Amino acid sequence: MKKKTRLLSLIALTAIVAVGLLAGAGFAQNAKHARTAATSACLVTDIGGLNDKSFNHLAYVGLQAAQSKLGVTGRVIESKSGSDYIPNLLSCVQGGADITIGVGFLMADAINTVAAKFPDSKFAIIDFPQEFLASKPANTRGILFREQESGYLAGWLAVKELVSQKKPLVLGAVGGLKIPPVDHYIAGYIAGAKAANPKAKVLYGYSQNFVDQAKCKELALGQIAQGAQVEFAVAGQCGLGALDAAKEKGGWGIGVDADQLFLGSHMLTSAIKKVDVGVFRTIKQVKGGTFKGYGNTTFSVRAGGAGIGAISPKVPKDIVAGEKLLEKKIKNGSIKSIPTTVP
Amino acid sequence: MTEAPTPAPPPLPEAGTDAAPVNFVERYGLLQRSGGVATALITASLAFLIGGLVVLATGHNPLSAYREIFNGTGLNWLFPWVNGTDRTFAAMNLQQTLLKATPLMLTGLAVAFAFRCGMFNIGGQGQYTVGTIVGVWVGSSWAGIPGPAHIVLAIVLASLAGAFFAGVAGLLKATVGAHEVISTIMLNWVAFYVGSYAFGLGGPLQNSTNVSVPISNDIATNAHLYVFWGDPILQGLHIGFFIAIGALVAYWVVLNRTTLGYEVRAVGFNAEAARYGGINVARSYVTAMAISGLFAGLAGAIDILGWQFRVGQLDVQASNIGFTGIAVALLGRNTAVGVFFSALLFGGLINGTSGRHLSADVFPPQLAGNLTLIIQGLIILFIGADVLVLYLWQRAKRLRAGKTPGAVEVGT
Repeated sequence: MKKKTRLLSLIALTAIVAVGLLAGAGFAQNAKHARTAATSACLVTDIGGLNDKSFNHLAYVGLQAAQSKLGVTGRVIESKSGSDYIPNLLSCVQGGADITIGVGFLMADAINTVAAKFPDSKFAIIDFPQEFLASKPANTRGILFREQESGYLAGWLAVKELVSQKKPLVLGAVGGLKIPPVDHYIAGYIAGAKAANPKAKVLYGYSQNFVDQAKCKELALGQIAQGAQVEFAVAGQCGLGALDAAKEKGGWGIGVDADQLFLGSHMLTSAIKKVDVGVFRTIKQVKGGTFKGYGNTTFSVRAGGAGIGAISPKVPKDIVAGEKLLEKKIKNGSIKSIPTTVP
Repeated sequence: MTEAPTPAPPPLPEAGTDAAPVNFVERYGLLQRSGGVATALITASLAFLIGGLVVLATGHNPLSAYREIFNGTGLNWLFPWVNGTDRTFAAMNLQQTLLKATPLMLTGLAVAFAFRCGMFNIGGQGQYTVGTIVGVWVGSSWAGIPGPAHIVLAIVLASLAGAFFAGVAGLLKATVGAHEVISTIMLNWVAFYVGSYAFGLGGPLQNSTNVSVPISNDIATNAHLYVFWGDPILQGLHIGFFIAIGALVAYWVVLNRTTLGYEVRAVGFNAEAARYGGINVARSYVTAMAISGLFAGLAGAIDILGWQFRVGQLDVQASNIGFTGIAVALLGRNTAVGVFFSALLFGGLINGTSGRHLSADVFPPQLAGNLTLIIQGLIILFIGADVLVLYLWQRAKRLRAGKTPGAVEVGT
């Protein structure tokens, strides 16, 4: 009997707690969705999340810059799984966002669906060409980058450094999935290496993964065993494994997307694409009323949307100077038609 | 298995306390039948309480955070005084919660059924993926078939594929004694890489128009499941929800009202005794695993036909529905009703803690994403702990009944 009372009181207690929570919840009619006069921008990340140290993070940096410099109101929503994409985008649109930005090609189908449903709202998608969206919505703009230019700069620098160190001219590159942005980087990297020295050889492969560092490390170790002196990691978090392999074997590592020189003294440089710049300028266009859907904006070295990050202090001054010159040549168009596809 | 000290008759569920539990599955099976619904409730409440403390420790108000989470699940739709835009949002949120709970019920059943046969099916994820692959393949081929037939074909073939895939693990256990935990984990990777290959660039199921994107073709429009609540284009709630509830009923009926279910449970209680009693234990292992896989494969199919409509290489790699199913089954104590409610709880949690509900004033976005994981992790942790709680409970009971504590096997 005593036992029963105790059990009942436990259940009662749980019920009280639950009711308390529910009651509190009932009064939660807040003005979260109220529309404000200022331009508002809303960012939806893909499943990589905000802490990916790569493009989702950079996109958020761009949004924050827009908030502080342009005075727009900003909101960012992380997607945890594929089923979050449409509800998150809807939440932006119905929350009154003037521009809704989807980060990454994974969001393409969801953007396509939502943009077609809300023709009066504005949308942008990073890393996906607008004309590839199934219904080619006229209110959507693709934000693209010339990753090949960043890759070209990185490949050139790597070969020049190897020449100065009198090491064999063999480079390695580890891609994640074989998707256009990844291939752009690698194609540019190969072209840059050959431009620095036609004898340079580039080994490359794909880990089929953007997350698992062990996969990229394995691939990189294989390339190093074949003589690769530099590892270019184009695979998000997975790529950190490739950089680790380079560190262990005394080679150079080249980071991707964000400036990753901070990873250690084995880092040569990073091939970067300034997703933050892309996001910032897109929001600026919306605020200034110059935003147009139907088409793509491509951010290049010239537009300040691509390039390479900080260079290792171990690299000789004359090579760094050569690098600056090369960057100028890309800017003024004397180096053009860098390939975008891997042979 | 060989040193089961109980005499010949199969132990009754309530009387199981005297048998020394041999392994985790048996010990857990024993305990879960003695605690009822109270421990599950206590487990969940404790997790929320500690989660609240974590929120408090980060300098935020746990009550407002939980209020946002509650509204995020869409449960405020049930309150008659919520109206206007709030009501629209609430309805949408509730649809998403139920949409997420639907596959969780099925992957929960996939774990639960094997559990009732004394096996730990870690392979729900792989079986789900196989269901996804077959669902996409059937759904995106043969566009000429009339809708209902196309749907039935896709669902049946995907479920059978899941059943076959899990059956392999059952067969290995039944014939050569390979432990199902090992074989199902390995099969998960088989499914992972088959999926990565099939939807990757140049793969057999990759998109035929966008050749540079690792994503499948869309499934035929007439093979979409009917959306009965919400906007059919914007991911409303589809009838797969009722299919999942049907599966819960089927689970109960098969387990409790058929010879097959009786045999499965007997093997789960004590395989040696069941064998002695004339039950074909090897066959039970294979059928139980196959039925488990059937549920998981079905989950994959209805996700595809219900809201996904296409699947990308990264979707295959990032999905963890099968793994969450393990937690669902554990919290639901492997019963149909329990799995239903715990799937709802997890669906609500996953949806409610989504960043779109936790406004930046309550929580900075980076923290909000992690709060989801913290609360989910706590619940899973406490599910583990509730075995301990139950153990202590049992022990206290026995002490009160006047038995010597020395008779209790220590060393949980």
